[in-house]
Amino acid sequence: MSSAPWSLHLLSEVLAAFTVEKPTALRDVISRVAEAVDAEVAAILGPEQVLLSLGVTEEEQQLLLQSATGRPALLQLAAGQLHTHWAPLHNNELLVVGRIRENYTLEERALLRAMGRSIKLSTQVLEAVQAEKSAKEEALREATHDYLTGLPNRRLVMQRLAEMLRSPPDPEVHRLAVLFIDLDRFKQINDAHGHSTGDQYLLSVSRILRELVSTRDLVGRLAGDEFIVITYSRGSAGVENLAARILGAIDRPLQIGSRHLQYSASIGLAVADPQDSPETLIDNADLAMYRAKELGRGRYACFDRSLRERAQNRADTERELRLALERGEIVAHFQPIISLRLGRVVGFEALARWRHPVRGLLPPGAFLTVAEEAGLIGEIDAVVLRNACRTAALWRDPATGLPPRLSINVSARGLADPSLADRVQRLLVETALNSSHLYLEITETTLVEEVAEAYDNINRLKALGVRLAIDDFGTGYSSLRYLKRFPVGVIKIDRSFVDGLGEDPEDEVIVETVIRMAKFLGIEVVAEGVETLQQASILGSLGCDFLQGYLYGRPEDAERSEQLLHEPLLNLPAREEDQPSPNKLMR
Amino acid sequence: MTDATKLERWVLVGTSTARDGATAVQEALAGILGKGEPKLTILFASPAYDLGELAPLVKGAIGSSELIGCSTAGELIRHQALSGGLLIWALGGDGFAVTTAHGLGNTEAGLRDAAHEAAGCLRQLQRKEHTILFLLADGLCGDQMEVVRGAYDVAGAGVPLIGGCAADDMALKGTQQIHGTEVLSNAVVAAAITSNAPMAIGIAHGWLPLTEPMLVTESKGTNLFSLDDRPALDVYLDAHDAPPEARTDSKAFFEFAHTRPIGVGRRNRIEIRYVYGADFVKRSLVIFAEVPEGGMAYLMKGSSGSVLEATSEVCSLAEQALDGHPARAFMLLECVARKSLLSNAGVLDQSLTLPNVGPEIPVGGFYTYGEIARTEGSGGLHNQTIVALALA
Repeated sequence: MSSAPWSLHLLSEVLAAFTVEKPTALRDVISRVAEAVDAEVAAILGPEQVLLSLGVTEEEQQLLLQSATGRPALLQLAAGQLHTHWAPLHNNELLVVGRIRENYTLEERALLRAMGRSIKLSTQVLEAVQAEKSAKEEALREATHDYLTGLPNRRLVMQRLAEMLRSPPDPEVHRLAVLFIDLDRFKQINDAHGHSTGDQYLLSVSRILRELVSTRDLVGRLAGDEFIVITYSRGSAGVENLAARILGAIDRPLQIGSRHLQYSASIGLAVADPQDSPETLIDNADLAMYRAKELGRGRYACFDRSLRERAQNRADTERELRLALERGEIVAHFQPIISLRLGRVVGFEALARWRHPVRGLLPPGAFLTVAEEAGLIGEIDAVVLRNACRTAALWRDPATGLPPRLSINVSARGLADPSLADRVQRLLVETALNSSHLYLEITETTLVEEVAEAYDNINRLKALGVRLAIDDFGTGYSSLRYLKRFPVGVIKIDRSFVDGLGEDPEDEVIVETVIRMAKFLGIEVVAEGVETLQQASILGSLGCDFLQGYLYGRPEDAERSEQLLHEPLLNLPAREEDQPSPNKLMR
Repeated sequence: MTDATKLERWVLVGTSTARDGATAVQEALAGILGKGEPKLTILFASPAYDLGELAPLVKGAIGSSELIGCSTAGELIRHQALSGGLLIWALGGDGFAVTTAHGLGNTEAGLRDAAHEAAGCLRQLQRKEHTILFLLADGLCGDQMEVVRGAYDVAGAGVPLIGGCAADDMALKGTQQIHGTEVLSNAVVAAAITSNAPMAIGIAHGWLPLTEPMLVTESKGTNLFSLDDRPALDVYLDAHDAPPEARTDSKAFFEFAHTRPIGVGRRNRIEIRYVYGADFVKRSLVIFAEVPEGGMAYLMKGSSGSVLEATSEVCSLAEQALDGHPARAFMLLECVARKSLLSNAGVLDQSLTLPNVGPEIPVGGFYTYGEIARTEGSGGLHNQTIVALALA
């Protein structure tokens, strides 16, 4: 064996122990230190406790602690006499190494002393480096990952998608596919249960997605309730299968705290073409997701080129609609409402029309969906409300000398608009319309979905004397609770039930039941979509109050509508004696 | 007052090379069971046997006493190295007490936690005056230094460690450990043995430095990347003047390195590390256990003479540490690489004559993939070494 001085290598090996990849793994470090200096005992001592030790019993640890003076000492252990040497660390901690029986040589002691200073320096440097590294890693993580779920965020998703598009693992066999996942009615979870529950729900969904994909797939959260899965597939069948499994897993009741929440998701699928950019691919999947929503939610839809065309058309319509609002092309048309009891026109429903400079007069079906999606529906509501009130306020019913009653549709978003009640109040003042002649028509679904936001508005409208008309009654959630809770003055029986009168006995039973119930509650009934005299006669015999439909007039412009107030009414059914409702309640 | 050292203590060794497991167990136990129920039975068996069959057979025969064991690369008794056989080493008598335990390793923590758990058997032991911890570890599961570290965490400076790394007849595919009737892999089994008489350990290897010490400039785990800032593989091949085939072919390198270990410099000794692979791209060596970065290392050479000498002296070294008590038995744990060197030199039988050991003293052990022996310091993992446990 060479006579190379052992102690010259001591410092090098000890310092190497302190520069292992995980300087925090102190158990490894002190093992290595003990082995390097050929010591039986090594320990790290805090000011009042042994933080970590090797080679000593619990009782002997106390002995070490009591002798922690920083000076070499001789301790009596069960295994023999221990010669100790100390090295200061940071935060008043000490590293102690002890050798049984044999003391350190002078040269070893000199090196152990140097070791103390070096370890302290090394530890501080390592801690500084580690802190810097951790800060950078954390900053990078924050910049690239979603804080809630820990999933890659939009930035990292786009980056990874670009990489995956550039270098597919096996382009001949596998194609890249994107699944754009949007949770249906997620807002309801936040509204009904609070944002904390909403966050827990999102976490559960993120876990489901992670579990369902393979290790090479990518799951990310783009925003809010939008998730993304990027996967490889041999064909569309594989991607559709994955989408179906995701839908199935999300659609199960998820336990969030003490609650079981069951909501669905809509998924758009897009398979990459060679020329697709990451942005295009995500957009395509997004379009497909919207298609899934249109088709009824809780399902998936695949991207095809026609969706792009539809989206383009929709974008064009939106742009034109914005111009139309600026140019006053959105106007109110009026459809007459007749009183069966009085046998004449007593009011109108105001309906939005778009006087398109090229396509002519467009019905709501041509633009209301786009208006809803573009956030323009509130503005359209406001235009129609203003125009209709101002127009109708100038008309006079020859029988009463007063303006006719007026029904105006209000969208869910319009009803939730905090300025609605103020605007209605200003219009009533401006036009001198009697508030009891103004009915705001809303759907049952609107009441159910937006009740939280709309509740304040409804109460304020009630205070003004304005009444609600429930449109399309019987087609929504039909929660009778709402009829009692809100100032409902009119129920409008949906045309789908009126259509069947005279042909389908069930429809007749339904209509009769609704009318009876309404009369019991003191609510007036308007039957929509009346097109035949037979329907009008049956409705009359069932006690319906008002009729509306093509039999008595299509929606017309203001000038033609006003004339209807002065013209005799044709197609009236034979009248029965009016029987006042015994329990009619005043509202 | 009774002299505690006079309480009965006995050690017996039995062997068999019968192909049939049941027959082999019966033959090996034949000379042991007549002495009474052992306190501890240790089974060393060739992987040619179904250890899952052997363990219940042995356990059934020894009753409630403790059983541990492992697969080997051969068993050894005085005058004979067995191949494809089994050896049973048993101790008993009121002078001994034993507890056993095992721990299972995992890919993240390696065997350190497993050894820590196995060494926990020390806590249940009613200690007499002298105590050792005997360990058998999976020899193909990561850095074997971790076994010593994990066991030392529990045993501390007061309890010597001894043991071996289980082997598989050089198939290098997987080893087995036995605890009771359980056959394990990726595990450490331990027996805490306490006695009213001394037990001592001897260590010898017979390898000599080929080079001056070199600084280990880069190593990590079982990979040795550089020595004196040169690629470790190149340093190794050049210093040993390796033949061309060993410079490019993994199998040829393995055969070449089998008898050319690395030495890790310690204060008053050199600990041997077995080189069992090379990365020809990274120009690094794969070592059986860690060669610590920052420390000093030697390339080692050996001759049949020096290795033979170590075998003959190891029992003497162990007996000398018995504080004047005569040894009543030895266990030998010898590296399979030493067996190869001695066998190739035609002196394997000669190495087992053990001239310093009386003919009446039982001797038995096995050929290992690594030897554990800690008597001073906190390290104690050896390769290509012979370790002897002497019991007074």
